[in-house]
Amino acid sequence: MKVPSSRWSLVALAALLVPAGLVAQGERDPLARLPASLRYDVEVLMDSARIYGLPVLPLQSKALEGVAKRAPERKIMAEVIREFRSLRDARVALGPSVSVDELTAAAGALRLGITQAQLAQMARSRTDKILTVPLVVLADLVSRGVPKDTASSTIFQLFQKGAADDDFQSLWRGVERDIDSGTDPGQALLNRAREIPSRSPGAPPASTTRPDISETQDR
Amino acid sequence: MTVPKQHAAALAVSLALMTTGEHAVAQTAREMEFRLEAGSLVSDRPGRTPLDAMAITPALRYSDSRVSLKTRASAWLNGQAWLLGSSHAELEVYQPLMYGIRAELVANASRVFHDPLVQNDQVDASGRLHYRRERGGIWLGSGVARPLRASAVSNVNVSSGGIWTRLGPATLRGSVTSFFFTKVSGDSITGEPVSCGSALNTAPNTGSPIPAGAMSSIRALPSTGCRLESRLTDLEGSIRWEHRLLEVTMRGGHRFGDSFDATPESREWASGQVAFWISSQIAAVAGGGREPAQPTRGLPARSFGSLGVMLAYWPIPRGVVPVESPANLVQAFELRAAGTEVQRITARIGGVETVEIMGDFSDWEPLPLIRRGRDQWELLVPMPPGIHRMNLRIDGGKWIAPPGMPTVNDGFSGEVGVVVVR
Repeated sequence: MKVPSSRWSLVALAALLVPAGLVAQGERDPLARLPASLRYDVEVLMDSARIYGLPVLPLQSKALEGVAKRAPERKIMAEVIREFRSLRDARVALGPSVSVDELTAAAGALRLGITQAQLAQMARSRTDKILTVPLVVLADLVSRGVPKDTASSTIFQLFQKGAADDDFQSLWRGVERDIDSGTDPGQALLNRAREIPSRSPGAPPASTTRPDISETQDR
Repeated sequence: MTVPKQHAAALAVSLALMTTGEHAVAQTAREMEFRLEAGSLVSDRPGRTPLDAMAITPALRYSDSRVSLKTRASAWLNGQAWLLGSSHAELEVYQPLMYGIRAELVANASRVFHDPLVQNDQVDASGRLHYRRERGGIWLGSGVARPLRASAVSNVNVSSGGIWTRLGPATLRGSVTSFFFTKVSGDSITGEPVSCGSALNTAPNTGSPIPAGAMSSIRALPSTGCRLESRLTDLEGSIRWEHRLLEVTMRGGHRFGDSFDATPESREWASGQVAFWISSQIAAVAGGGREPAQPTRGLPARSFGSLGVMLAYWPIPRGVVPVESPANLVQAFELRAAGTEVQRITARIGGVETVEIMGDFSDWEPLPLIRRGRDQWELLVPMPPGIHRMNLRIDGGKWIAPPGMPTVNDGFSGEVGVVVVR
């Protein structure tokens, strides 16, 4: 009998689809982990970020990070607002044509005291190169005690000279090693920067436009 | 004779450095490891029927910032009888690193068992100065060994130097060890004394005439017969490679010395061992190769092969993990692409029970890494291209930035590691 068979097939299909629909409705909402009051404030700030054309995921991520690290609500909100301001300032400094990654890296550098003017200087010389890795390295160097002006001018000069992401990465490793062995952070950066070869700005290495600092090293 | 003075000087320098270790900072955490290996073993030496035995080998290793203790004993079932096989105990005492230098005192007691006819015990002690950096080091040492129950050999003066380096998951070592000893002339395999006259005519083991150079070192002593001063130098290299579920150890060497001391079958040697971790505490192990003769102990060269299973256990006594500096426990941390938008996180962290990671890729929810083998931890995580921040946690301690990547302040009194995935 064909009819009952197809009817049973429909029932079976419906039985399969209903739970699937329920799963879709109940899709994971990361913000559900935030306390209600914090969630409301974070969502308002995310709406504001959308209006400014800023990415919202860094804000959501900062809030979730604070919750995971059991920070007080007030502290979490303060950090989310700080992130928002840094992203906004980074957008002003770098201009509208930057990627979310560059914006996030620039925001990190701004939070460590790098000025908008210093960022803008780098942005002006970027042509088609991506700023993410140099900015990540810059932020790390400043947090390790390299004076801000020394760090930003050195990174800027290397960037202008066509240094590739690999160069910045090896620079970072060398400076980290030197600082660990007791060298003054600023001096360590200047010493290591001299080892980076100058490249013709017209012919940057392929990796310059494809950043990747995912390599790691033994400790 | 100046050699004993050199040993005394090396030991004195080691002791002096050890007493000034108060100024230094402890470098390593407390670590304990039990292993139990069971399997089949074949040992073969020229002129004898190969010994085929079932071997059970328990081993214990303990180390902290000052002491390292390793013991290993094996019981062999050959036919119906249990025998005490090769065994080894080593105690190493060292001062914490000071300006990259560590003084080390090492004492060993060992038993080498080839078969019921050929076996030997020995005790030895040495002092070493070890210059260590993060990825390598160099050492120089000197000591003395005393073989027991070996009629052919007196005390042995041992001088050694070596270098090691870490290249990713591999550790490479190279060493030069020089042995100087006086032996009573005789068959160095059996230890049977022979007459002074026969020793002057023929070299033991080889049957060849004694080289002219060796003649000068033979002294006829009225009370003990002939004594021969022997020098041997072993050049040895090894590589230990740990990758995911595999642990591979290979070693090889070359012996320098006149043919009277370094017999042809002991000029070169090589051996290897592979452990494949089936689970976090069970591994299949296989090994084999050739060991050189040990003339200082009166032992001939032999070939061996083994196949078995190893059980391992690493208990963590409460409160011994230094939570204030867990980053020191991380020997390696690696992030590699493992497919589209998926990264494989691997870490080598010894002596811990749990390792977790969290980051923007997990919406800051902790993800436990899976233990693979002794110190290996692994996890696959979805991570699209772009900039990512992450933290690592060991044994439920503080969240830290994984080593080997740039860091930034997280705003919550800590740091996060920053990585850019292509």
